Amino acid sequence: MADLLGFVLSGLVSGALYALLATGLVLSYSASGLFNFAHGATAYLCALAFHELHSGFGWPTVPTALLLVCVIAPGLGWALDRLMFRKLARVGETAQIVATIGLLVALPALGLWIVEVLEQAGAPVKPAENQFGLPGVGPSPAVSWQLMDGVGVDSDQLITWVTTAVVAAGLWLLLRHTPLGLRLRAVVDNRSLVELRGMSADRLSSVAWMLSSALAGLAGVLATPLLGLSAHDFTLFLFVSATAAVLGRFASIPLAFAGGLALGVLQNLVAGYASFADDLTGFRTAVPFLILFGGLLMMARRQRTAGTAAVDAPPLDYLAGSSWTRRWGPWAAGAALLAIAFYTVTTPFWSGILAQGLAVSLVLLSFTVVTGLGAMVSLAQATFVTGAALVAGLLMSRGWPFLGAALVGTCAAALLGAVVALPALRLGGRSLALATLALAFLADQVLFQTGWLRNGDTGWEIPRPVFGPIDLGDDRAMGVALLVLVTAVVAALSALRNSPTGRAMLAVRSAPAAAMASGVSVVRTKLLLFTLSAGLAGFGGVMYASYNTRITATDFTAMTGLIWLAVVVAAGVRRPQFAVVAGLVFALMPHLIADYVTESVHLPVILFGLAGLALANDPDGYAAAVSVRRYRRRRASSPTPPLPESLRRRRGWSRSSPRPYRGTDAEPNSAPPAFEERGPGRSPEAPQAFGKGRGGEKDALALHGIHAGYDTAAVLHGVHLTVRAGEILALLGPNGAGKTTTCRVAAGILTPRTGQVLADGRDVTRTGPVPRSRAGTLLAPEGRGIFPALTIDENLALHLPDRTDRDAVYERFPALAARRTVSAGSLSGGEQQLLALAPLLQRPPKVLIADEPSLGLAPRVVDEVFRLLAELRDAGTALLLVEEKAAEILGVADRVAYLSQGRVSWCGPRAEVEADRLTEAYLGIAADDPHATRTEVSGP
Amino acid sequence: MPRRNRIRTFAAAAALLLAATATACNSAATPASGGEKGGSARGVSDDSIKVGGIVSMTTSSGYSKKDTDLGAKARYDRANAEGGVHGRTIDYLGAEDDGQDPAKNLASARKLVQRDKVFAVSPMSSVAFSGADFLNRERVPTFGWGTLPQFCGPEYIYGFGGCMVPMPGGTITQSWPEGLADVMGGAKGKSVAILANDNDAGTFAIRTYKQGFAAAGFDVTYAKAVVPAASAPSDWSAYTKEILRSDGGKAPDAVVSVMQTPYNIGLFTAVKRSGFKGVITDPTDYDPGLLAKSASRKALDGVHVLLTFEPFESDSARMQQFKADIRKAAGKDVPLNMHMMTGYMSADLFLAVAEKAGRDLTTASFQKAAKGFSDKDTMVGDRELPKGQKESFGCGALVQLKNGRYEVSSPFKCYEPIPFK
Repeated sequence: MADLLGFVLSGLVSGALYALLATGLVLSYSASGLFNFAHGATAYLCALAFHELHSGFGWPTVPTALLLVCVIAPGLGWALDRLMFRKLARVGETAQIVATIGLLVALPALGLWIVEVLEQAGAPVKPAENQFGLPGVGPSPAVSWQLMDGVGVDSDQLITWVTTAVVAAGLWLLLRHTPLGLRLRAVVDNRSLVELRGMSADRLSSVAWMLSSALAGLAGVLATPLLGLSAHDFTLFLFVSATAAVLGRFASIPLAFAGGLALGVLQNLVAGYASFADDLTGFRTAVPFLILFGGLLMMARRQRTAGTAAVDAPPLDYLAGSSWTRRWGPWAAGAALLAIAFYTVTTPFWSGILAQGLAVSLVLLSFTVVTGLGAMVSLAQATFVTGAALVAGLLMSRGWPFLGAALVGTCAAALLGAVVALPALRLGGRSLALATLALAFLADQVLFQTGWLRNGDTGWEIPRPVFGPIDLGDDRAMGVALLVLVTAVVAALSALRNSPTGRAMLAVRSAPAAAMASGVSVVRTKLLLFTLSAGLAGFGGVMYASYNTRITATDFTAMTGLIWLAVVVAAGVRRPQFAVVAGLVFALMPHLIADYVTESVHLPVILFGLAGLALANDPDGYAAAVSVRRYRRRRASSPTPPLPESLRRRRGWSRSSPRPYRGTDAEPNSAPPAFEERGPGRSPEAPQAFGKGRGGEKDALALHGIHAGYDTAAVLHGVHLTVRAGEILALLGPNGAGKTTTCRVAAGILTPRTGQVLADGRDVTRTGPVPRSRAGTLLAPEGRGIFPALTIDENLALHLPDRTDRDAVYERFPALAARRTVSAGSLSGGEQQLLALAPLLQRPPKVLIADEPSLGLAPRVVDEVFRLLAELRDAGTALLLVEEKAAEILGVADRVAYLSQGRVSWCGPRAEVEADRLTEAYLGIAADDPHATRTEVSGP
Repeated sequence: MPRRNRIRTFAAAAALLLAATATACNSAATPASGGEKGGSARGVSDDSIKVGGIVSMTTSSGYSKKDTDLGAKARYDRANAEGGVHGRTIDYLGAEDDGQDPAKNLASARKLVQRDKVFAVSPMSSVAFSGADFLNRERVPTFGWGTLPQFCGPEYIYGFGGCMVPMPGGTITQSWPEGLADVMGGAKGKSVAILANDNDAGTFAIRTYKQGFAAAGFDVTYAKAVVPAASAPSDWSAYTKEILRSDGGKAPDAVVSVMQTPYNIGLFTAVKRSGFKGVITDPTDYDPGLLAKSASRKALDGVHVLLTFEPFESDSARMQQFKADIRKAAGKDVPLNMHMMTGYMSADLFLAVAEKAGRDLTTASFQKAAKGFSDKDTMVGDRELPKGQKESFGCGALVQLKNGRYEVSSPFKCYEPIPFK
């Protein structure tokens, strides 16, 4: 019993550190949607700074710790958010993962570089290496107390517990009982709604990053006596605490916190009682990763499968429409030149480095399959490489020929890939990345510790093959042979990309549900992708090992896989030829930098990490950066509209994912004038009357000649609308007419391509939703405009910080008052809509844009909602009401506008609404074109 | 261009490249980097011998061996001050940093051989030695810390203290068990508990030391590779409990750790807190730098540490010389550590063999000299080649940390190895 108590108590120490890190992870994840792999590196940086300031500069412990945790670490978080994370939140998930992996290596290098520079400047810094038994905040050596037999605590443990408890309480107070905390929780809950409510989500995300960074810093300072100054250990510690974040589903801070504590205890219990696993080498080492993997699978069960849809935009095809020569000519010429160079200009040293680069390229090509084609981030590629090479080496030691061994090794890797793919079938995005990472660590720590497979530290010899007259023992021959292989793989991947299988893979990538509906088996496709990629990685691994002439189990670790991913994504993971560029750059760069730029080993690492910054601007990688820019400039100067989709779709690699470049592909001439052609409908206000309403009164909201849409699709073709204070304008129209787009333009979420938005006569076309909302233009979005995880009272408090205002609301709506501490998500649909509107009644906005406020509500509730809206109008609010339920809305609307096919086809007072116009509005066809209707209806 | 056409073009290009390789290879039968031609050897001129080194200096684990470089430099400096080797001075290029990265280790070896054209690599001290095959193939005599299997077997690779990895069919060094028996006044009836990391290396260490300690007469009551290897546990109670009950419910007479410093600090602190009064020993913590921190000083107080070289506390003439050399090379007094010794003795063994090879220095003459090389009474004991490429020189000492300084608890001595089963 004392044993158990002891295990639990001391397990809580590492648990507390896990909890701190996991809380930080959740905070930053929910603030900007990215999983920060570099969180442990931040902790390391603070531990390093603490060591230098305390031991080197002789600063006192507690003030130093406070300075780091309260000033330096938040500052770092703020800077990273401003420089990187904010931009990254808008690019694809792969780029996000990779950018933080870059930071993971760059931040420690940055710290060590600063130490190096300070040392050269003569500052009293201490070396950062070989530091053991470092002092923490408390006394050193730690004072220990024996509570009972076998159960003891020491001062470091006590400090960790107390600090963690204080931080937990502080976080709880901050999040539960301050306006800032309320807003932070609101951001976590529904980021876009926060913006609509006039709070800057970016600013809140900065705050979240600062908090998260401070927590990492705190964990770093507290963990210094435990982990010393090992960046590697800090990162491992972070991966383990990711388990706790997973348990908190990356959203719940209390759950993550509790998960962290439980994790520490569980780990200790396993360590204490896992004697059953004594014969399985590596089992105890692997326990945290087993838990991480298990946690991911468990959590995934409750997720929707639809969550796997890719958010990565397809790469811009800057060579669209070019000939084959234009497209591949430079690459073919480059390859030929490289082959010739091996035998003419390169020295033996550079031949070797180039050959190594090509061997890495072969491995990196496997990423273009699983990540480039499949949009799945696999961090287990190094496992396939090691697995295949070990198997091949084992077989060659038994006398197998090279080709046979390579083939079996490749198959073994493919098989391993299929096993890894099993979780992929239910996981997506960062969960998949974490799961593959956990599996990679499991392989390193258990599978590759198997004596007969790894052959100790000696590993297996993989002699370079000799085929007849070709002896690959010569680096030049090896280089050319690798070049041939790389060329073949690039060609094969390009062919695959354009084959039916490749199209199926792309379909699964962008819309699994739709792919399934089209008869594509998602399971089979994902399995195929992983297997293929693993096989390719395995083959590359055998070739790489053959370049090294030996494979040992520690040559390529899980961390190597992380670096590889960063290397290939930085160059561009969507085109196989870029993986080759990545491999060559990866091999050549360190030597070039050492020769020509700097002797410091830290600077290249920092530069490598900063590739993440570049990704924020060029999510498609640096290899295409120049071409893409040139293409954009050319496109911007040429008036030719983009090719029709159908035409582009028939073209080659990467061309079937068209994305006309963002921003300027408006087609200002293609949309006909709005009303003139529409015949009998009453023309709305003339454009010149905008800004001034009838009777000289200012319009509260005016849209003028709005053209807007999304990427390729133009939705609005010149919309004119005005709403005055104290007026309800009902906007009717069929699905797809552009009602929601109009709302988004009016609220500032979507910037129109052309046209003008005026609020109170001021031009607000280019202002975002936050300032617009602050100036009094509110959007109640489609669905319920509430924060489901917050309580009713908190929901109200976001709009009505003053308690008396809230009390007034409760007086008016006793149903809400009775359940004020209940989470809003548990209310019925009608109650939720009332909750969304209630605070507005208390403090009426100037303009309210309500997108389908009656959607999915019972008729009785709809009446209630409309009554509230009418009340708002009477309070002077200008209302733009978008509805499909025409009958009810006509009861409250002052004026009505019909929207069809992106244009306002009719606008006038309610009294003039005619039944056939309603029909027209709903069916989206002119009532005076009966043939069209009939054909539609009686069609097959 | 239609797809089929494109594929054909690729195929043609590939075939062309293949053909180019084939023809070119026929004309490139000799090894890429030359090797010996006639009497002159790579890196050897009339008045100098070019030597490089490979050392892990920067790492993400916070463990660095960078003082190996200083040790080697100190030894070469003295050799040059004494007139060099047969009239040739040693042109030591300094060590390449491999950052504990296997890929960089190989690249460093390639750079030293193919660009810098060194005659030998000494010292080579890292956690992985993936450049070994290359160096051996290119016939580059390489000297380093023989804790990696690559120092056991390959013709051109030598450990300064011999090969320190027991190989099946080889022998196990008994300096640790015998030294401990010396400290404890005999092994008879004394129980030991051995603890290692939960990985292949740990399992292997348990296998060898279990046999070694048993052969020395100890009663091995506990020998397990169970400590998670990824990072040091924050809590050791689970392990200390098991260990301290291993001798039939009692604590064993000695606790033997075959782990790295961060683990040892945690383990020893925990063991002592549980009231353990016996002997504690490990093979890694001989680092006077550890005495600078009160936490590590306290954790390691009383611990007997195994060394495979003469302790710095010894006052022999050769140790005085070592200290003087290091001070001169560093330009000031620096705290000594075992990495300096590693570099120093790697350089020393290279110099000794080169001296024996005579004025006509080629790889062949060097190897020939190494074949029957032996000398006595160095700081790593009696050296003998090529025996040292199969087993360790078998010498060691134990030092005990007492009141903030190391004291020799079992003097430096060479022991008879036992066969490894």
